[in-house]
Amino acid sequence: MSRPPLPRIGVFVCNCGTNIARTVDCEEIACAAMEWPGVVVARAYKYMCSDPGQEMIAEEVREKRLDRVVVAACSPRMHEPTFRRALASSGLNPYLLEMANIREQCSWVHDDPRAATDKALALARAAVARVVRHEPLEKRFVPMNPATLVLGGGIAGMTAALQLADAGQPVTIVERADRLGGNVARIDLTAPHLDSARELLLGRLARVSMHPMISVLLRAELEQLEGYQGNFTADVAVEGASRRLEIGSVVVCTGYKEFDAARVEGLGYGRLPDVITSFELELMLKRGRIEMADGRTPRTVALVHCVGSRSEEYHGYCSRVCCMTALKYGHEVKSALPGAAVVDLYIDMHAFGKGCEDFYRKTAEIKTLFLMYGKNAPPVIRPAGPKDDCNLLITLDEKLSGEEIEVPADLVVLMVGMEPREDAGRVAQLVNISRDKDGWFIESHPKLDPVATTTDGIYIAGACQSPKDIPDSVAQARAAAARILAKVAKGKIEVDAIFAEVDAARCSGCRICGTMCPYGAIEYDEEQKSSRVVEASCKACGCCAAACPSLAVRARHFTDEQIFAQIEGVL
Amino acid sequence: MNGDKLKIALYWGAACGGCDVAVLDTDEFVLELAAEADILFWPIAVDGKYEDIRALPDGALDATLFSGAVRNAENEDVAHLLREKSQVLIALGSCSAFGGIPGLANAVTREEILERVYLDNPSIELGNRTVPRTRVPVNGTELELPAFYPRVWRLSDVVDVDYLVPGCPPAPERVQEVLAALVSGTLPPRGAVVGAAEKALCEECRRRKADKRVARFVRPWEIVPDPESCLLEQGLPCAGPATRGGCGARCPDINQACRGCYGPPPGVQDQGATLVGAWASVIEAKTVEEAETAFAGLPDVLGIAHRFTLPASLLQRSCR
Repeated sequence: MSRPPLPRIGVFVCNCGTNIARTVDCEEIACAAMEWPGVVVARAYKYMCSDPGQEMIAEEVREKRLDRVVVAACSPRMHEPTFRRALASSGLNPYLLEMANIREQCSWVHDDPRAATDKALALARAAVARVVRHEPLEKRFVPMNPATLVLGGGIAGMTAALQLADAGQPVTIVERADRLGGNVARIDLTAPHLDSARELLLGRLARVSMHPMISVLLRAELEQLEGYQGNFTADVAVEGASRRLEIGSVVVCTGYKEFDAARVEGLGYGRLPDVITSFELELMLKRGRIEMADGRTPRTVALVHCVGSRSEEYHGYCSRVCCMTALKYGHEVKSALPGAAVVDLYIDMHAFGKGCEDFYRKTAEIKTLFLMYGKNAPPVIRPAGPKDDCNLLITLDEKLSGEEIEVPADLVVLMVGMEPREDAGRVAQLVNISRDKDGWFIESHPKLDPVATTTDGIYIAGACQSPKDIPDSVAQARAAAARILAKVAKGKIEVDAIFAEVDAARCSGCRICGTMCPYGAIEYDEEQKSSRVVEASCKACGCCAAACPSLAVRARHFTDEQIFAQIEGVL
Repeated sequence: MNGDKLKIALYWGAACGGCDVAVLDTDEFVLELAAEADILFWPIAVDGKYEDIRALPDGALDATLFSGAVRNAENEDVAHLLREKSQVLIALGSCSAFGGIPGLANAVTREEILERVYLDNPSIELGNRTVPRTRVPVNGTELELPAFYPRVWRLSDVVDVDYLVPGCPPAPERVQEVLAALVSGTLPPRGAVVGAAEKALCEECRRRKADKRVARFVRPWEIVPDPESCLLEQGLPCAGPATRGGCGARCPDINQACRGCYGPPPGVQDQGATLVGAWASVIEAKTVEEAETAFAGLPDVLGIAHRFTLPASLLQRSCR
């Protein structure tokens, strides 16, 4: 390890208004820095990230011929890109920058000005020691295949496919069932506007099947996915035969399955023929007749919310669509059987969607009887006796009255919640994405990046990500398509200059790094018997570099030499 | 070197003698060596006294191969003596290079060792409290024993060493290569590890490797390992990933996990810590309980991971 020639370092200390300067003596840091080896200029300024601040850095780089820059300011997560741009604008490689975080790690968390200044000095000194070891790095590009694989042909999958195909990009939909449409095809009307689900689907189904840019593989399943963002190879089994697809992106729209109501013993589903699930009622509605098992017309229809949802025993989460669906059933029952009574047994009424609160109010107007039961205390349903003038009796602790009451009913509809499909784990493994504690696929960021995943090039949309209604599924599908189209428009994928690399001369091929990589970014070359990092998939987390027992993996910009220099700088 | 025959010496410090046997295991090459070089000193095979070495001028020996660690004052005195008299000093074997098996004694203190061996041992005669001491009066005179040090040192901790030849013992073919290079004057620049590979053992291990997921580590007697696939993947604590190659993967070839005797791969400072990191990396455990179950098969992590390198590790020794 040869020492590089004496560097010319500029140190720029940011007051951040008073955010930093209130606690840390920024002038003192600038003065002290002038004494450190290699530092040729050190200045403090009120807002380094401002245009004049950035211009100051660029000017000093040019005038003093700086070849390294340290900015002591906020977190690099905040302004590292800003200062990298400032370096680039002055002709210096942006990776010759190091930031010392003297705000979040210093002024914001300390009160004592002396101690805070001493700590800021140590952090700045560490940054100076580290920046000496920085190397200029260049971004790289890999080609972007415009084709997309959509897993699942439900409402989300079809929407994503159409948006991509309408933009002129090829799409393949892989659907396991023998027809498209998913769960939406199983329902009659949609809440809250009582539009026909069939109408929603028909136009889309026609366009998908006619579209020249979309090919649909029915009775098909993804078997293997290899490669990386922009350059995947998918093996799809279609009715026993295997087909290989070259694609650039994957949208996972595998949806959900309904909760098995038989698991809640007291509800009697499976034992009592007139206790049915919401999907079974949908089927009746589509056929145009609401009836009991013996063909009679029910006089009282009870709707039980939260079956499998919001419970300690089954699923803790809310399935989001059941409340409005139950209200919709109220309307549909009343319109089909004007004389029938509707009883709605709920825990809390979740009517958060657009137009949903109005819908709730309207349902109350049609004289639905609302009864509230407690979480983890589901109603119990039993057959009525010969003297009761009804088919079933429902017992519940009614929360609003505080009394245990018994409700007669002829037909009980269980609002079954959503749960991840049985094979969600396998899908997650195939495309290398993660699942949350409930089994739903995890997005890259819950607020800011809701359809991307931690694996570049893999997107999620619809209910496979968490329970959601049609508008949200469609919005996600369109968002995923838009994300892909943005990359296709660029035509190539920018690979960050910071990634891990394997020194083949040191790699013994033990394959420990491959086990560690959370992004599937490490390939093993069977012939060379060594591992290799796929730069486009690497997120520079450093797990492989830390785990490599041969020091063969090097994390660019986070090399051992850089980190040791930084540690020595602090000490 | 002048036109005369080479003058060399071999010595053993705290060692089992296996390295000397490795030299003898070069078979008829030893005779060739003897033809090319005068072996002035080799306690296991050649007559020769310390006095003979002391009588030599400094640098008179072309090379010395020093096996064994430095456990006591005698080991250290001879190390200094041979360093002065030798132009090239080679640490032969892992005890000399890294502390080796004797170095595991650094896991306990000198007092604990003396207590266990001489006082608290079922085979000690009742009432016998004899413990070795440096000076013992006998019949009006005083006998002197070499001082037993508080810890084990590597050879390079006490004198400058020019080359390391790892292995416990080094493979005879490797020993022969090093000796041949010594005779022909083709050793690499000083400071090199010689008689070994530049990559970790997995490189030369013939087993099939896959991504590793180990549910739990197993003791060698618990399974009959599959002869084709990676032993670490089968739950055996194989040291191969963090061990320098060069032996030819002799242990994995006979269904035994690598014990790590060739020490760390190039650049790795602490073989034991690196191994613990590697083993922890392949464990599938998601909870503390699962991790504990997984590691239950490694009852002596220190002893297994640092089997040959404790004195060379960041831990170095017990400081109770």
